[in-house]
Amino acid sequence: MRVADIQRFCMRDGPGIRTTVFLKGCPLRCAWCHNPETQSNKRELLYYETKCIGCGACGVCNQNAHEFSDYHTIQRDLCIGCGKCVTECPTGALEIIGKDYTIQELLKIIEKDRAFYGKNGGVTLSGGEPFMQSEEAFLLLEQCKKKGIHTAVETCGYFSSDILSRAVPATDLFLWDIKDTDSQRHKDYTGVSNERIINNLILADSLGAKTRIRCILINGLNSKEQHYKNVAGIVSRLKYCEGVEFIPYHSYGGAKTVALGEIYLGSDKWIPSKGQIDEAKKYLQNKGITVL
Amino acid sequence: MKFFAVNGTRPIRLSEETRKFAFESLNHKYGKDTWNTPAVSMDDYDNFESLTPLQKYDAMIAKISSTAPIRICEGEKISGAATLGIAIRHTIPATFNGDTLYSSISHLTIDFETVLKKGVNFIQKQAEEALKKYKGTEKEMFIQSCLHCIGCIRTWHNRYLQQLENKSQYKANYENLKNVPFEPAKNFYEAVQSIWFTFAFVRLCGNWPGIGRIDWLLGDYLEKDLADGTLTLDEAREILAHFFIKGCEWIRGEECGSGDAQHYQNIVLGGIDEDGKDTTNQVTYLVLDILEELGISDFPTTVRINKNTDNKLLKRVAEVIRLGGGVIAVYNEDLIIESLVEYGYGLKDARKFANDGCWEVQIPGKTFFMYIPFDSLQILQGETLANYNNDISFTDFKALYDKFIRDLKSTVENLITTRNTNSFICTGVPTRDWNWKPNIPCTVVSLFEQGCIEKGASYLEGGPIYNIFSPHIGGLPDTANSLYAIKKLVFDEQKVSFSELMNILKNNWEGYEQLRQYALNKYAYFGNDNDEVDMIAKNIINDFSDICDNASSYSAYNTPAGISTFGRQLEWSPHRMATPYGKKAHDILSGNFSPTPGTDKEGATAIIKSYCKADLKRTVSGAALDIKLLPSAVNGENGIEAIISLITGFVALGGHFMQLDIADAELLKEAQLHPENYQNLSVRVSGWNARFVTLNKEWQDMIIAQTGNEF
Repeated sequence: MRVADIQRFCMRDGPGIRTTVFLKGCPLRCAWCHNPETQSNKRELLYYETKCIGCGACGVCNQNAHEFSDYHTIQRDLCIGCGKCVTECPTGALEIIGKDYTIQELLKIIEKDRAFYGKNGGVTLSGGEPFMQSEEAFLLLEQCKKKGIHTAVETCGYFSSDILSRAVPATDLFLWDIKDTDSQRHKDYTGVSNERIINNLILADSLGAKTRIRCILINGLNSKEQHYKNVAGIVSRLKYCEGVEFIPYHSYGGAKTVALGEIYLGSDKWIPSKGQIDEAKKYLQNKGITVL
Repeated sequence: MKFFAVNGTRPIRLSEETRKFAFESLNHKYGKDTWNTPAVSMDDYDNFESLTPLQKYDAMIAKISSTAPIRICEGEKISGAATLGIAIRHTIPATFNGDTLYSSISHLTIDFETVLKKGVNFIQKQAEEALKKYKGTEKEMFIQSCLHCIGCIRTWHNRYLQQLENKSQYKANYENLKNVPFEPAKNFYEAVQSIWFTFAFVRLCGNWPGIGRIDWLLGDYLEKDLADGTLTLDEAREILAHFFIKGCEWIRGEECGSGDAQHYQNIVLGGIDEDGKDTTNQVTYLVLDILEELGISDFPTTVRINKNTDNKLLKRVAEVIRLGGGVIAVYNEDLIIESLVEYGYGLKDARKFANDGCWEVQIPGKTFFMYIPFDSLQILQGETLANYNNDISFTDFKALYDKFIRDLKSTVENLITTRNTNSFICTGVPTRDWNWKPNIPCTVVSLFEQGCIEKGASYLEGGPIYNIFSPHIGGLPDTANSLYAIKKLVFDEQKVSFSELMNILKNNWEGYEQLRQYALNKYAYFGNDNDEVDMIAKNIINDFSDICDNASSYSAYNTPAGISTFGRQLEWSPHRMATPYGKKAHDILSGNFSPTPGTDKEGATAIIKSYCKADLKRTVSGAALDIKLLPSAVNGENGIEAIISLITGFVALGGHFMQLDIADAELLKEAQLHPENYQNLSVRVSGWNARFVTLNKEWQDMIIAQTGNEF
C-alpha cells in the first residue's frame, strides 16, 4: 500500500488510543485540505525550508533537481521521487511522502501498540481516501479484525458503491466526512459534487455501518444554518450513526502545501470562531443529535 | 478561591471552611509563620558541649518538645504542627552558638501501622523490655534515648491537650487527641489524628518521612464507622482533607532550587495486601476526591496498579491526572512484587511495599534506605573513551561495549566500597558532608522502624530489618544513545572513523554540523520503540544489575540496582562533553529512565514500549519513566480512555513506575513571565512535585524542555 505517514498514539481518529495510517491518493481536491501531501497517489518530495542548513548534501541527485544559487530551489519537473537526496539530507528538510508497504509490514507496525489499544482503541485508515487502494484496504482491515484490533476508516465517501459490500463488514467504525451539503459549493471547492457521498453514506448505513459524521467547519463557506440543517436532515436518516463531530478549519495544511512546492489556496479568514463552533454544535444538539 | 488546574475545572465537595483552610495553607500562611521560630536554642543548657552526641540529641529533642511553638489553626480538625523553620531544611531545629548540629533523616516511610494498631505505649513497652536485655551493655544508651524520646512525645502531646482543653470550639479535637497516638486508634477520626500527630512530631524534629499506604492503614476504621453509622462519608472526607491541608504547613512559596514542596511526604494508594487481597477501599476514593478538588501536590501520590485493577479506580485516577499538576503516578505492582521476591524478600513483606518518600521501592517501617547516584555518561566519556582521546579505538561494537561495562563495574564497586567504609561499618573519616555515620543520633525515627529497638541499634547503625544502599545509574538513555550512534556512524555505515569521531566530539562538533545533524536526525534513539537501541539500554541494565547483585560479597548492606537522575542532569551538564548522537557539550540530557528531550518522536506509546523492553524486575529499587502530555491530547471522554490505556499498557508490558503529567510548554512559559498568576501550578519534577514558580530558572527551563508530547 502507498502510505503517506503512520502516526501512533492518536486520540483524534476514533475511540481510544489508535495508530493512524494515512494513505496516499484522494479523489477530492479540497481547497482547505489539511493533508495536501496525501492527495496525489505519486511519491512526492517535500522540502521544509526552515530545516535546511544549506549544506548541499542533496547535490547527490542524479537528475540535478536541486539547485543552489542564492538559495536552495528544487526543479520539481526533474524530480523522479527516488529519495536519494532524502537519505543524504542530515536535517530532515527533505522528505519523500509515499512509501510502499506490504500488508504484513503494516500489520507489524499496527501491532506495536497493541498493548495500548484496550477494547476500543485500534487502527484507523485515513488519508487521502483509503478506498482509493480498496483491495489492499480490505485485506488490511480484515486482517486487523481477525487479530481482534478495532478498525476505523476515515473516508470522504466518494467511491463506487460496490466498495461498501466488503468495506462495511471489515470496518468497525466509519469517520465519514461531509464537507458541505451545498452541492454547487461542494463542487466548487472540492472538485466533485456531493450526491455520491451522501448516497454512499445512506447505503452504508443500510448495510449496518457504524458511523461518526465529520464536518469541517469553514468560516464564510459552510458556517451557515442551512448547512447545519441539511446535516441534521442526513443524520436523522441514519440508524447507526453515533453522532457528529465538527472539525474547525486550520491552516496547518498550508506549510505542507508550500513544502510540496504548490500554492496554498486556504486562508486564515476561514478559521471559525469559537462562537461559530458552539453555534453549529448547539444547532445539532437542539435537534437531538449527539455532538462528539 | 480558585484551586489551579492545567486542564478542566475542579469539582467542589468540601465545606467552605475547609476550602478556605486549604486555600490559606497553599498560599503560605503557615509556611511563613514557621520561619518566625527557626529553631530552639541550646545555649542556656549547662555544659552542653561536654555531652556525648546522643546526650546532646536527647537534650535537643527535650527542648524542642517542651518549647516549640504550639500552633492550632482556626477550624482545624486534627492537631499537631511542625512549627520550627529549620526543620524544613532537613536539619534538627536546635542550635548551639547559632549553629545547627545534626542533619536529620529522610528516604524512609515509618511504621504507622504499629502506631495505629498498637500505639506508642506498645513501643514504650518494647523499649522497656529491651532495656532489661541490654542493661549494662553499650546498647543501653540507645534504648534509654528511645524511652527519653517517647517521653518527649508525651510532653508535646500534653502541651497540645492543655491548649485544646478549655476551648469549646476544639472540644472534639481534644477528645480525639486524648488517647492517640499512645493507645490504639478506636475509630477513623482518631486514626487520622494518630498518624498526623506522629508524623508531625517526627517532622518537628527535622525528619522527612513518607506516609505510605494511607488507604490501607485507614480503610478498616472507616468501614467500621460507616457500618456503625457513627460517621458519614462526607464527614470522613472533611477529616481526611485536614490531614492533607495540614501537610502544606511547610510551603513558603519562595524560590529554592528544586521547589518548595520537596519533603518526601509521599503517599501510596491501592494494591494488594499481604494475603493478596485488593486493599482499595472508600479511603482510596476519598484521597482522590481531595486531590481532585484541592490540587494539593505536597503529598505526591502513587497508585499501585496491577493487571486486575478495577476500571472504576483507573477512571478516577485518570480523571485526577488529567487536571494536571502531576500529583498522581503509578506503580506496576505485579512486576514490583515479583522483583522484590526474586531479590529475596518474603512474599508478605514484598506485598507491603511503599516507597522512601520519593519513588524508590521499600518495605515501610522496616527499611534503612540510601541511594548512590552516578552518571553513566561520564563513565563512557571519561573512562571508556577517556574524554575522546583519539588514541582510543575499538575494532568492533562488542569490544567498545565490553570495555564500557568493565568501567561501569569498577566505578560501581568503588562507590559501594567507599560508602561501606565511610558509613556505618568503620569509623573512618567521611569524605562527604552528608554525614551518615553512627555518631549522628536519630532516635526519633528509630522508634518507628522495626528492628531498631530489638537490636538496640539506631536507624543509621543497621537497626532496621532491611538495610539498603542502592546504586542508581543516571544518564542511561544518553549512554545507550551514544553507544548506538557510534555503532551506526563508525561500524555499520562507516560515515567516520573511530579516531575522527573522537576528534570531532572533543571539539564539540565544531565544523561538522552536517554530520551532527545526520547523527541527530537519522537514527531513532531510545524512546522511539527501536529495538536496536532499546536492546543496548536493556543490556546495560542487565549488566549493571549483575554488578549490583554481586556486591553482596563485599558489602555489609544490600545494594539493589536503580535508575534515576532526580534532576541531576542539571548538575552533571557542565561535566559532560558532546555526545555521539549529536548533542553538544553541556546540554541538559535525559531525566531518570526517560528519553533525552527532543529525541522522542513517536509519542507516548513508543516511549513506554522502549522503556518496558528492559527487564525492570532487575532494578529492584526502581526505574522511573516521566511522560508529559499536552492538555489537548487528553481532552474529552477519549482523553480519560487514553490515559487509562497508557497505564494498562504500561502494566501489561512490564513497566515499573510512571509519572504522567499534563503540561503545556506555553503555559509554563507564561508562568515564568507572570509567576504571580500561577502560584499553585505544580509540575511533576521527579519523585516529587514542585510548585513551578518556586523552581529556579534553570529547573524551570529543564521542565519546559521536557514538555510536549504531541501526537
